[in-house]
Amino acid sequence: MVLPTSVEEASRLLPTAEGGASAKLLAGGQDLLTELKEHLVEPDTLVNLKSVPGLDTIEWNEAGELTIGALVTLTDLEEEAGVVEKLPILSEAAASIASAQIRSVGTVGGNLNQRPRCWYYRAEHAPCLKKGGSECYAFEGRNKYNAILGGGPSYIVHPSDLAPALVALGAKVTLKSHSTSRQLLLEDFYTLPSDGDILTETRLKPDEVLTHVHIPKQRAGMRSTYLKFKERASYDFALSSVALCLWLDQGQITRTRIVLGGVAPKPWRTVKGEQAILGKRVDARTIEMAREACLDGAVTLSENGFKIPLTKGLLTRAFQKLA
Amino acid sequence: MATTPSPQDKVAWEPRDEMTVLNKDARRLDGPVKVTGRAVYPHDVRLPNMVYARLLVHPAPRSKLTRVDVEPARQVPGVVYAEVLKSGGEEVLYQGDDAVLAVVAAETPEAAEDGVRAVVVELEELWPPMVTPEQALADDSPKITENGNVVVAGTRGDQAEVEATLGRCDAVVEASYSLPVQHHACLETHGCVVDFDGEKATTYPSTQMVTGSTGMFARELGISRSDVRVLTPYMGGGFGAKFGIGKEGAVASEVAKALMRPVHLMLTRPQEFLMAGNRSGSKQVMKGGATKDGVFQALYVEADKHGGMGRGSLPTPPYIYDVASNASTIRQVHTATDANRAMRAPGHPQASFAMESMVDELSYAIGMDPVEFRKKNLSSEVYHRQLDRVAKEIGWAEHEHRTEPGKVDGNVRVGIGFGVSTWGSGGRPGCKCEVRIEADGSIRSSVGTQDLGTGSRTYVASIVAEEFGLELSQVEARIGDSDLPPSVGSGGSVTTGSLAPAVKDAAHNARVALCDKVAPVLECDPDELTWQGGKVYPTGEPDRALTWKEACATVGSDPLVAMGEFQPHLHQGRVHGAQAAKISVDTLTGEIKVLKMVTIQDQGIPLIRSALRSQINGGMVQALSYGLLEQRVHDADLGYMLTANLEDYKIAGVQEIPEMVAIIDDDDTRQTVCGMAEATCIPGHAAIANALYNACGVRIRDLPLSADRVVTELAKRI
Ligand SMILES: Cc1cc2nc3c(=O)[nH]c(=O)nc-3n(C[C@H](O)[C@H](O)[C@H](O)COP(=O)(O)OP(=O)(O)OC[C@H]3O[C@@H](n4cnc5c(N)ncnc54)[C@H](O)[C@@H]3O)c2cc1C
Repeated sequence: MVLPTSVEEASRLLPTAEGGASAKLLAGGQDLLTELKEHLVEPDTLVNLKSVPGLDTIEWNEAGELTIGALVTLTDLEEEAGVVEKLPILSEAAASIASAQIRSVGTVGGNLNQRPRCWYYRAEHAPCLKKGGSECYAFEGRNKYNAILGGGPSYIVHPSDLAPALVALGAKVTLKSHSTSRQLLLEDFYTLPSDGDILTETRLKPDEVLTHVHIPKQRAGMRSTYLKFKERASYDFALSSVALCLWLDQGQITRTRIVLGGVAPKPWRTVKGEQAILGKRVDARTIEMAREACLDGAVTLSENGFKIPLTKGLLTRAFQKLA
Repeated sequence: MATTPSPQDKVAWEPRDEMTVLNKDARRLDGPVKVTGRAVYPHDVRLPNMVYARLLVHPAPRSKLTRVDVEPARQVPGVVYAEVLKSGGEEVLYQGDDAVLAVVAAETPEAAEDGVRAVVVELEELWPPMVTPEQALADDSPKITENGNVVVAGTRGDQAEVEATLGRCDAVVEASYSLPVQHHACLETHGCVVDFDGEKATTYPSTQMVTGSTGMFARELGISRSDVRVLTPYMGGGFGAKFGIGKEGAVASEVAKALMRPVHLMLTRPQEFLMAGNRSGSKQVMKGGATKDGVFQALYVEADKHGGMGRGSLPTPPYIYDVASNASTIRQVHTATDANRAMRAPGHPQASFAMESMVDELSYAIGMDPVEFRKKNLSSEVYHRQLDRVAKEIGWAEHEHRTEPGKVDGNVRVGIGFGVSTWGSGGRPGCKCEVRIEADGSIRSSVGTQDLGTGSRTYVASIVAEEFGLELSQVEARIGDSDLPPSVGSGGSVTTGSLAPAVKDAAHNARVALCDKVAPVLECDPDELTWQGGKVYPTGEPDRALTWKEACATVGSDPLVAMGEFQPHLHQGRVHGAQAAKISVDTLTGEIKVLKMVTIQDQGIPLIRSALRSQINGGMVQALSYGLLEQRVHDADLGYMLTANLEDYKIAGVQEIPEMVAIIDDDDTRQTVCGMAEATCIPGHAAIANALYNACGVRIRDLPLSADRVVTELAKRI
């Protein structure tokens, strides 16, 4: 384990696109440690990001924009006064994650970069697509928790709860290496298995560090919520979740963001669903339109068909909550 | 307090209302050491020069081994021992202890783990893996036991006669109910520490049978039983899975013999799921009929038990209910998976779910209140009063819809359901207890029993405290050591029925002996002494009292030692219970919240009321978890168990726990003791499933009532 003191130094310790050092970034370790214990990754070196100063703050600027450091813990995010007041969607998403113990050490950067939970990916002996094998076992095997949208050839779902909420807020991320720095919309940060490199879920380059998350100032009047269905209330990943931002003017929807979690290999923004309801009042018919449009194109596997009625149910509950 | 009966009489339990220590709440004697982490569990045992052993368990069920090479493991720094347990040419017949291929021991657990990973295994996995009942039942599937994949375990009754009766019924329900395999999921995995010097051994197994384990270690170590000492003062849960020392105990003994160093071998959590037993699953196809007057007339059952390589367990239908015309066939359907073991009320929660669902379905089918329907078909009056009590406590009379379910209307609906339980839980000979009193006033009660978390340690002391009118804290309890007087294993809820009478007998005998010493000092008849409030005095003359210490001074330089043994008349088997559950279900998303559970349970004399309530609460939690969440999942093609950890094998946590009301049935006036812990986990999940139906008319016949099943059914109706 090495303790870098700057992002540049951390980046130099990481492998490059061409390969090199077998090293992994370590933040709170809540995902990485499980991967290490299950021998899904076996790096020679752990680069402990926690020794890099300045990445653990939540800052609001005068323009009302929010910058969240990668090392901010989920608990700190959940409890930050401005987030609680202005961005309930984000505080609710953070609060829905895992257990109090895990939230108190898990970080924002680690949460956004965590790896899939699919049974087969996590089973060391199953050489699945995500581990460089040739088959997605979930496709024909046990797939209750797998994707109904955007799947193929791998059917994982992205496990992060922060991601759908942040995508709904139009968040950007800063990615830095020792020689480069760039910003991406979080929405574009995530990839589908069909986009190319199946061994990763993001566009993060091997020597890049996600340093900050930026949330733009939201237009006035936003109502927002993150509704997550957990099979086990005490701590669980989403069977399905809905991140919803809604702007109403005299009862009419002037703007909305709908992002689904737990149903696709990346946070699933449904522009179609958003457009379908613009200008409408929030009533049973509108909700029905949103439900249909959001799940347009869903393809179910043998055991995950329930995610369609479940997600529709959550959408209704989310609209009811905000209207 | 103890005055009557006089010491020379036959030992008997005091009247309950005169008890000062028993029949009360009590703080557990081991509470402080447990919550402060000072209690040393088998996992925590650290001995000088100890090595850590780990097993290599292949995860797939059936394979032909071509090579198992431990040489690379021996090269791992820190590894001191590596041996093949199953070699090239041999076959692995099933997932579990048959797939233990090698053992590695090392100076640290990490080195042992690295050693295990270094072992080279070459094998051919056999297909199909035979992990599902469907695979076992397929025509062309390989035979996985000598007797084949399907064995008829029992048939009874006359199917034709049942069919004829069904023809005369007003309502007939045909349904298939299924329950998955459940895991014990003890907090402490199986395993032990074996310390062997070539002649004598001290062992520290996580066991629910301290005395009986000596023989098992003796056999493995090749020494006599008297040269084995078993020490298990604390252990982290058994639920029926920890009687034998298992493959892990045998291998630990082997390594100890080879190294002559203490060996620590505990299963990893995945291994615990793969090879430490389970509750068998079952599928029960039923046809039941009732007449409009509320009589459950006929029942035909075809049931399969899914016990892996084991036989599975299921009591014969119609289980608790009186159904005059009944017939059944029960089969064992074997899969190439770990054998089932005893688990808290073996077979009963399975039978209960199917029967209570059927009873419920019939009552709604004839439009009768399900509580009344149950009472009509249960002959024991005990159930009638118990059902009335839980119905009252859960608010049944005020509930809106009692004879037909609520509707799926997109809202959150509330429902209530019921179930009853039974258990034999007798006592048997085998326990002996020693009570020892010293001249300085110290007193201890010793027996080689075990405390699985039930509170048995505490009543080993409190029965004695009651006898002498002492405070619980004045008596020391010693258990968990095979050098102490023997005890039966803790299975079938027999511990209390077997142990408490022996402790009572020893306490009684100690009192008789101490009365003989004290009487001359107090110048009275030994029969006429009252022990109360830490004092002893001639009955009726409290002002002539000796303090406890003064009384003990009469003992002299050698301690007073009294033995006691099982006294059949102090115990009585057979318990009854009833449970009710109240849930809410979001008929849009399928989210179920259990709002409240109520249980009433009888057992004769409540030795420690708080411990009884704790057992009742635990039973409710275990049933809730089984009913809503627990599910072991296999990939039928690869054969792997996909849920061999506590993240994917979901167990209820704090957020799932409802308001729980645990009622001790004080109308049971039997002046005897009896274990009851198993009965409490029998009907809870059935009550929850019945509550779901009552809430919204969705009948789920397969457990668990997981969100995918519930929302799928709801979606069909909205
Ligand atoms: C039992 C359990 C339940 C859970 N439930 C949920 C849940 O309900 N919802 C949910 O969203 N999550 C859940 N999680 C996941 C958990 O929230 C995340 O694992 C945690 O937030 C990760 O943060 P960390 O700091 O511990 O990351 P680490 O484990 O340290 O890192 C995770 C991954 O991200 C990489 N990484 C870390 N920081 C950066 C960075 N700044 N830039 C680039 N890469 C980085 C690491 O290399 C590693 O691959 C659960 C985890 C467990 C163990």
